[in-house]
Amino acid sequence: MQLDPKTLDSLVEEITRQVLVVLKEQGNQFVTPRPAAGAESSCSRCERQVAAPRRPEVAPQIFLDTAARPSDVPDVRDAVRNLARYIDHTLLKPDASYAQIAQLCEEARQYGFATVCVNPINVQRCSQLLRGSGVGVCSVVAFPLGAVPTRVKCYETQQAINDGAREIDMVMNIGALKSKDYDLVREDIAAVVRTCHSNGAICKVIIEAALLTDDEKIKACQLAKEAGADYVKTSTGFGPGGATLHDVTLMRQAVGPDVGVKAAGGIKTYQDAMAMLRAGATRIGASASVKIMQEARSAS
Amino acid sequence: MSRIAAYIDHTLVRADATPDQIVNLCQEAQEYRFAAVAVNEVHVRLAARLLRGTGIAVACAIGFPLGGTSTWVKWYEARSALRGGASELDVMIYLGALKSGRYDLVEQDLAAIARLCHDHGALCKAILECALLSDDEKVRACQLAVAAGADFVKTSTGYGPGGATVDDVALLRRTVPPSVGVKAAGGIRTYYDAIALIEAGASRLGVSAQASLQILSEERVLLENP
Repeated sequence: MQLDPKTLDSLVEEITRQVLVVLKEQGNQFVTPRPAAGAESSCSRCERQVAAPRRPEVAPQIFLDTAARPSDVPDVRDAVRNLARYIDHTLLKPDASYAQIAQLCEEARQYGFATVCVNPINVQRCSQLLRGSGVGVCSVVAFPLGAVPTRVKCYETQQAINDGAREIDMVMNIGALKSKDYDLVREDIAAVVRTCHSNGAICKVIIEAALLTDDEKIKACQLAKEAGADYVKTSTGFGPGGATLHDVTLMRQAVGPDVGVKAAGGIKTYQDAMAMLRAGATRIGASASVKIMQEARSAS
Repeated sequence: MSRIAAYIDHTLVRADATPDQIVNLCQEAQEYRFAAVAVNEVHVRLAARLLRGTGIAVACAIGFPLGGTSTWVKWYEARSALRGGASELDVMIYLGALKSGRYDLVEQDLAAIARLCHDHGALCKAILECALLSDDEKVRACQLAVAAGADFVKTSTGYGPGGATVDDVALLRRTVPPSVGVKAAGGIRTYYDAIALIEAGASRLGVSAQASLQILSEERVLLENP
């Protein structure tokens, strides 16, 4: 029997949906939507604007739950054994072609990375390419400046989730932090977190550490934690500097054990990656991930 | 009286720009009569309030600086900026589609924003990020921008691997019709940079806040000591 791709897709989606329903009935904890404290049905500040249709039930939620989560990272030994599950395989340059995106997904499949981290325009393509692979799709939002209003961040987040993203890396409002407008910073993050959690996605908050003083980094981490973020993340990779061991250590201290820390920007080698994990990182964002994995293999 | 100020978009699109800095930016724009201030969307309302009735435009960066959002998101962002008081939008085009030969998508993406701008009586500037393009791609991008209804083509975001060059401005100027403007942006630091780009065909210059004041003071010195 010949099936056109569209029919095949819709069949796969239907089967996925039914499997998820059955697993849910059996009380399988992996399929239970992530418990988001105080999560509302949608972004409360921008509910009206976020009118895009949702199809969360067809998402690869079940696969994503095997990705490293802040709460289930016991020690660095696990990271040595399962390094790929700690890596977001990243391609964010503006001129990334469709062929390069396809290659990114192919590599992610091959190595079993936690996610591919891409611009929102590429999320749908990646979701299709990675269906059934166990590799999630991570979308950046308000990237890399973080300088759009909260309602735009929420809309962008909702669209990325609709397209299949299950992790969102949002840039906080850095200018507001610099102006000590902490309520605005917290509310901005919280609104995006609510949009994520009510759709079963996780939210990472990029603080762009290279633009901040140490006090500001600590404050940013505290605000992100208060706002319910799942991770804090060092850098966009487009700022004046990338991840440093100092920043990762500081951020780990600031958020405590319950929130993840993602180190990103300038991580080029296996040594870099392991140093970040030892300093307290629970996720690595890298475009050199294939090289890192090859070095890891020759190191072991 | 400065002759060059009317060419300049007085620009502050850093990630860590604060409202206080935007207030300064707007005061400087009024004092020196720049064409516009260019800001990120988070500062549009503030800038529009400060510049109401002054004749100085508020330009807002959209899909900036990567152009990595879908048309829907750009459109939503653009509408939000226009409602906030922006009268010019500097929109990053969909480079990934251009690089993949999907010219139809590049044009559709930009056309949606250009239409929205024109419905609001605003100008649409298409940013090409020339440093990432071959000359053929630059020409193609200009043609697509014109077909999409853009009012300006713009060389660079200032966040890419290179800024405005005289060669690129001349190429863009040759490619687009006279009714479409050319905005040079990125790395414009001195009065001589500015004059060279204008002579090459630039009708607008995007200059970061500090550099535009520097350019005006260089111009003053030259006018006073011809």
